[in-house]
Amino acid sequence: MAAGIATRIYPFMPGGAADGTRLVSGAVVLSDLTDTPRFGLKGGGSAAWLAAQGIPLPPVNRIGEHRGMRVLRLGNEDILLLAEDAGETLAQIKTAWQVAAAPKGFSSWREEGWAWMRLSGPRLAEAMSALCALDLRPRKFGADDIAQTRVGHIEAVAFRSPAGFDILFDITASAYFARTVAAVATPIDQHNA
Amino acid sequence: MKLLTCPMNGPRNIDEFQSFGPVRARPDPNATADREWSRHLFRAENRRGVVVEWWRHVPSNYFFLAERDLVSNEIIRTFDASEPRDRA
Repeated sequence: MAAGIATRIYPFMPGGAADGTRLVSGAVVLSDLTDTPRFGLKGGGSAAWLAAQGIPLPPVNRIGEHRGMRVLRLGNEDILLLAEDAGETLAQIKTAWQVAAAPKGFSSWREEGWAWMRLSGPRLAEAMSALCALDLRPRKFGADDIAQTRVGHIEAVAFRSPAGFDILFDITASAYFARTVAAVATPIDQHNA
Repeated sequence: MKLLTCPMNGPRNIDEFQSFGPVRARPDPNATADREWSRHLFRAENRRGVVVEWWRHVPSNYFFLAERDLVSNEIIRTFDASEPRDRA
Protein backbone atom coordinates (compact mmCIF):
# COMPACT_ATOMS: atom_id res chain seq x y z
CA MET A 1 0.00 0.00 0.00
CA ALA A 2 1.45 3.34 -1.02
CA ALA A 3 2.32 5.83 1.69
CA GLY A 4 -0.42 8.31 2.45
CA ILE A 5 -3.22 6.11 1.16
CA ALA A 6 -5.76 5.29 3.81
CA THR A 7 -6.65 1.73 4.58
CA ARG A 8 -9.86 2.72 6.32
CA ILE A 9 -12.69 4.57 4.71
CA TYR A 10 -13.55 8.18 5.34
CA PRO A 11 -15.23 9.80 7.12
CA PHE A 12 -14.00 8.12 10.31
CA MET A 13 -16.95 7.90 12.64
CA PRO A 14 -16.91 5.30 15.41
CA GLY A 15 -20.18 3.41 15.33
CA GLY A 16 -21.17 5.03 12.02
CA ALA A 17 -22.40 3.22 8.94
CA ALA A 18 -18.85 2.92 7.60
CA ASP A 19 -17.37 1.62 10.87
CA GLY A 20 -15.74 -1.75 10.30
CA THR A 21 -16.01 -1.59 6.51
CA ARG A 22 -12.87 -2.97 4.94
CA LEU A 23 -11.16 -1.93 1.74
CA VAL A 24 -10.40 -4.95 -0.40
CA SER A 25 -6.84 -5.76 -1.34
CA GLY A 26 -5.83 -8.70 -3.46
CA ALA A 27 -6.35 -9.10 -7.19
CA VAL A 28 -8.40 -5.91 -6.89
CA VAL A 29 -7.26 -3.15 -4.53
CA LEU A 30 -9.42 -0.32 -3.25
CA SER A 31 -7.78 2.67 -1.57
CA ASP A 32 -9.36 5.75 -0.08
CA LEU A 33 -7.88 9.12 -1.04
CA THR A 34 -10.71 11.15 0.45
CA ASP A 35 -8.36 13.15 2.69
CA THR A 36 -6.30 14.22 -0.34
CA PRO A 37 -6.57 17.95 -1.21
CA ARG A 38 -9.00 18.98 -3.93
CA PHE A 39 -11.04 22.04 -4.75
CA GLY A 40 -14.07 22.41 -6.97
CA LEU A 41 -15.69 25.50 -8.43
CA LYS A 42 -19.10 25.62 -10.02
CA GLY A 43 -21.46 28.21 -11.44
CA GLY A 44 -21.11 31.36 -13.52
CA GLY A 45 -17.63 32.84 -13.49
CA SER A 46 -15.81 29.64 -12.40
CA ALA A 47 -14.10 28.99 -15.73
CA ALA A 48 -13.20 32.63 -16.31
CA TRP A 49 -11.74 32.99 -12.81
CA LEU A 50 -9.61 29.85 -13.10
CA ALA A 51 -8.44 30.83 -16.59
CA ALA A 52 -7.45 34.25 -15.22
CA GLN A 53 -5.19 32.44 -12.73
CA GLY A 54 -3.34 30.93 -15.67
CA ILE A 55 -4.92 27.50 -15.30
CA PRO A 56 -5.45 25.98 -18.76
CA LEU A 57 -8.95 24.49 -18.93
CA PRO A 58 -9.54 21.33 -20.96
CA PRO A 59 -12.80 20.67 -22.87
CA VAL A 60 -15.77 19.19 -20.99
CA ASN A 61 -15.17 15.61 -19.83
CA ARG A 62 -11.40 15.89 -20.29
CA ILE A 63 -8.52 16.22 -17.84
CA GLY A 64 -5.80 18.86 -18.02
CA GLU A 65 -2.73 19.53 -15.94
CA HIS A 66 -1.44 22.59 -14.12
CA ARG A 67 1.62 22.66 -11.85
CA GLY A 68 1.21 19.04 -10.71
CA MET A 69 -2.58 19.27 -10.28
CA ARG A 70 -5.10 17.45 -12.39
CA VAL A 71 -7.78 19.77 -13.78
CA LEU A 72 -11.09 17.99 -14.37
CA ARG A 73 -13.66 19.77 -16.51
CA LEU A 74 -16.99 18.27 -15.45
CA GLY A 75 -19.10 20.89 -17.20
CA ASN A 76 -18.70 24.30 -18.80
CA GLU A 77 -18.77 25.92 -15.37
CA ASP A 78 -17.98 22.91 -13.20
CA ILE A 79 -14.27 22.36 -12.64
CA LEU A 80 -12.41 20.26 -10.12
CA LEU A 81 -8.75 20.52 -9.15
CA LEU A 82 -7.11 17.40 -7.73
CA ALA A 83 -3.85 17.96 -5.90
CA GLU A 84 -2.50 14.58 -4.96
CA ASP A 85 1.10 15.82 -5.04
CA ALA A 86 0.54 19.56 -5.26
CA GLY A 87 -1.14 20.49 -2.00
CA GLU A 88 0.73 23.78 -1.71
CA THR A 89 -0.21 24.96 -5.18
CA LEU A 90 -3.83 24.12 -4.48
CA ALA A 91 -3.74 25.93 -1.14
CA GLN A 92 -2.46 29.07 -2.92
CA ILE A 93 -5.32 28.89 -5.42
CA LYS A 94 -7.88 28.38 -2.67
CA THR A 95 -6.55 31.36 -0.74
CA ALA A 96 -6.61 33.53 -3.87
CA TRP A 97 -10.17 32.43 -4.57
CA GLN A 98 -11.34 33.20 -1.05
CA VAL A 99 -10.13 36.79 -1.20
CA ALA A 100 -11.13 37.38 -4.84
CA ALA A 101 -14.14 39.47 -5.75
CA ALA A 102 -17.14 37.96 -7.56
CA PRO A 103 -17.83 36.70 -10.18
CA LYS A 104 -15.69 33.70 -9.31
CA GLY A 105 -18.22 30.86 -9.16
CA PHE A 106 -18.91 29.15 -5.87
CA SER A 107 -17.20 26.34 -4.03
CA SER A 108 -18.81 23.03 -4.97
CA TRP A 109 -17.46 21.64 -1.70
CA ARG A 110 -16.00 18.55 -3.34
CA GLU A 111 -13.45 18.10 -0.53
CA GLU A 112 -16.34 17.51 1.88
CA GLY A 113 -19.12 16.18 -0.32
CA TRP A 114 -17.29 13.65 -2.42
CA ALA A 115 -15.37 10.53 -1.56
CA TRP A 116 -12.30 9.84 -3.71
CA MET A 117 -11.37 6.19 -4.10
CA ARG A 118 -8.82 4.43 -6.25
CA LEU A 119 -9.23 1.00 -7.80
CA SER A 120 -6.11 -0.86 -8.85
CA GLY A 121 -4.70 -4.36 -8.91
CA PRO A 122 -3.89 -7.02 -11.51
CA ARG A 123 -7.56 -7.91 -12.14
CA LEU A 124 -8.78 -4.33 -12.27
CA ALA A 125 -10.25 -4.55 -15.78
CA GLU A 126 -12.54 -7.42 -14.77
CA ALA A 127 -13.70 -5.58 -11.68
CA MET A 128 -14.41 -2.38 -13.65
CA SER A 129 -16.39 -4.27 -16.25
CA ALA A 130 -18.59 -5.63 -13.48
CA LEU A 131 -18.94 -2.23 -11.78
CA CYS A 132 -19.52 0.04 -14.77
CA ALA A 133 -21.50 -0.41 -17.99
CA LEU A 134 -19.23 1.84 -20.06
CA ASP A 135 -16.47 0.56 -22.29
CA LEU A 136 -13.41 1.71 -20.34
CA ARG A 137 -10.78 -0.18 -22.31
CA PRO A 138 -7.72 1.95 -23.15
CA ARG A 139 -8.52 2.30 -26.85
CA LYS A 140 -11.97 3.70 -25.98
CA PHE A 141 -11.19 5.56 -22.77
CA GLY A 142 -7.91 7.43 -22.63
CA ALA A 143 -5.80 8.86 -19.82
CA ASP A 144 -7.41 12.30 -20.14
CA ASP A 145 -11.03 11.12 -20.46
CA ILE A 146 -13.68 11.52 -17.79
CA ALA A 147 -16.78 9.33 -17.49
CA GLN A 148 -19.67 10.79 -15.56
CA THR A 149 -21.75 7.69 -15.16
CA ARG A 150 -22.74 4.99 -12.68
CA VAL A 151 -20.12 2.87 -10.98
CA GLY A 152 -21.40 0.19 -8.62
CA HIS A 153 -24.94 1.50 -9.23
CA ILE A 154 -24.22 4.98 -7.86
CA GLU A 155 -23.56 8.23 -9.66
CA ALA A 156 -19.83 8.69 -10.01
CA VAL A 157 -17.04 10.39 -11.89
CA ALA A 158 -14.49 7.87 -13.17
CA PHE A 159 -11.12 8.50 -14.82
CA ARG A 160 -7.75 6.87 -15.16
CA SER A 161 -4.84 7.32 -12.78
CA PRO A 162 -1.39 5.79 -13.26
CA ALA A 163 -2.32 3.02 -10.81
CA GLY A 164 -5.78 2.25 -12.17
CA PHE A 165 -9.07 4.12 -11.93
CA ASP A 166 -10.04 6.97 -9.65
CA ILE A 167 -13.70 7.23 -8.68
CA LEU A 168 -15.40 10.25 -7.14
CA PHE A 169 -18.87 9.91 -5.67
CA ASP A 170 -21.17 11.11 -2.88
CA ILE A 171 -19.29 10.60 0.38
CA THR A 172 -22.40 9.27 2.13
CA ALA A 173 -22.13 6.18 -0.10
CA SER A 174 -18.50 5.35 0.75
CA ALA A 175 -19.29 2.29 2.90
CA TYR A 176 -21.77 1.06 0.30
CA PHE A 177 -19.18 1.53 -2.44
CA ALA A 178 -16.48 -0.34 -0.49
CA ARG A 179 -18.89 -3.25 0.07
CA THR A 180 -19.95 -3.26 -3.59
CA VAL A 181 -16.33 -3.41 -4.74
CA ALA A 182 -15.67 -6.20 -2.22
CA ALA A 183 -18.66 -8.15 -3.56
CA VAL A 184 -17.29 -7.86 -7.10
CA ALA A 185 -13.67 -8.53 -6.13
CA THR A 186 -14.22 -11.59 -3.94
CA PRO A 187 -15.24 -14.01 -6.74
CA ILE A 188 -12.44 -12.61 -8.92
CA ASP A 189 -9.97 -13.26 -6.10
CA GLN A 190 -11.29 -16.78 -5.54
CA HIS A 191 -11.11 -17.56 -9.23
CA ASN A 192 -7.55 -16.26 -9.20
CA ALA A 193 -6.50 -18.45 -6.25
CA MET B 1 -30.28 -2.19 -22.24
CA LYS B 2 -32.10 0.85 -23.62
CA LEU B 3 -29.74 3.64 -24.61
CA LEU B 4 -30.18 7.39 -24.74
CA THR B 5 -27.50 9.61 -26.23
CA CYS B 6 -26.61 12.50 -23.96
CA PRO B 7 -25.31 15.45 -26.00
CA MET B 8 -22.52 15.97 -23.45
CA ASN B 9 -21.66 12.44 -22.31
CA GLY B 10 -22.57 10.23 -25.26
CA PRO B 11 -24.68 7.04 -25.33
CA ARG B 12 -25.67 5.85 -21.87
CA ASN B 13 -28.03 3.42 -20.19
CA ILE B 14 -31.49 5.03 -19.94
CA ASP B 15 -31.18 4.29 -16.21
CA GLU B 16 -28.79 7.26 -15.94
CA PHE B 17 -31.47 9.72 -17.05
CA GLN B 18 -34.44 11.43 -15.54
CA SER B 19 -37.32 12.79 -17.61
CA PHE B 20 -38.68 16.26 -16.92
CA GLY B 21 -41.62 16.21 -19.31
CA PRO B 22 -42.45 18.13 -22.48
CA VAL B 23 -41.31 21.63 -23.22
CA ARG B 24 -44.46 23.74 -22.85
CA ALA B 25 -45.45 27.23 -23.77
CA ARG B 26 -45.50 29.54 -20.77
CA PRO B 27 -48.57 31.75 -21.04
CA ASP B 28 -48.59 35.00 -19.07
CA PRO B 29 -51.11 34.42 -16.23
CA ASN B 30 -52.14 38.08 -16.29
CA ALA B 31 -52.90 38.06 -19.99
CA THR B 32 -54.54 34.63 -20.25
CA ALA B 33 -58.23 33.91 -19.90
CA ASP B 34 -59.18 31.73 -16.91
CA ARG B 35 -60.24 28.89 -19.17
CA GLU B 36 -56.91 28.74 -20.98
CA TRP B 37 -54.95 29.17 -17.75
CA SER B 38 -56.88 26.34 -16.13
CA ARG B 39 -56.20 24.18 -19.14
CA HIS B 40 -52.50 25.03 -18.94
CA LEU B 41 -52.34 24.08 -15.27
CA PHE B 42 -54.46 20.97 -15.14
CA ARG B 43 -54.60 19.30 -18.55
CA ALA B 44 -51.89 17.21 -20.12
CA GLU B 45 -51.63 16.72 -23.85
CA ASN B 46 -52.27 13.24 -25.13
CA ARG B 47 -51.67 13.25 -28.83
CA ARG B 48 -49.75 11.38 -31.46
CA GLY B 49 -46.68 12.90 -33.03
CA VAL B 50 -43.31 14.14 -31.90
CA VAL B 51 -42.72 15.84 -28.59
CA VAL B 52 -39.71 17.84 -27.38
CA GLU B 53 -38.89 16.92 -23.80
CA TRP B 54 -36.51 17.98 -21.07
CA TRP B 55 -34.17 15.25 -19.85
CA ARG B 56 -31.41 15.27 -17.27
CA HIS B 57 -28.27 13.14 -17.25
CA VAL B 58 -28.14 12.51 -13.51
CA PRO B 59 -24.42 11.80 -12.87
CA SER B 60 -23.36 15.03 -14.59
CA ASN B 61 -26.52 17.02 -13.72
CA TYR B 62 -26.79 18.09 -17.34
CA PHE B 63 -30.19 19.15 -18.72
CA PHE B 64 -30.86 18.76 -22.42
CA LEU B 65 -33.71 18.32 -24.92
CA ALA B 66 -34.88 15.23 -26.77
CA GLU B 67 -37.31 14.79 -29.62
CA ARG B 68 -39.35 11.66 -29.07
CA ASP B 69 -41.98 9.94 -31.20
CA LEU B 70 -45.00 9.46 -28.96
CA VAL B 71 -46.25 6.43 -30.89
CA SER B 72 -43.08 4.41 -31.43
CA ASN B 73 -41.24 5.79 -28.35
CA GLU B 74 -38.22 6.31 -30.59
CA ILE B 75 -35.83 9.11 -29.60
CA ILE B 76 -35.32 11.03 -32.83
CA ARG B 77 -32.51 13.26 -31.59
CA THR B 78 -31.08 14.81 -28.46
CA PHE B 79 -29.51 18.25 -28.33
CA ASP B 80 -28.30 21.02 -26.06
CA ALA B 81 -30.95 23.51 -24.97
CA SER B 82 -29.00 26.33 -26.65
CA GLU B 83 -29.54 24.76 -30.08
CA PRO B 84 -32.53 25.79 -32.22
CA ARG B 85 -35.63 23.66 -31.95
CA ASP B 86 -37.87 22.65 -34.83
CA ARG B 87 -40.84 22.08 -32.56
CA ALA B 88 -42.27 23.52 -29.33
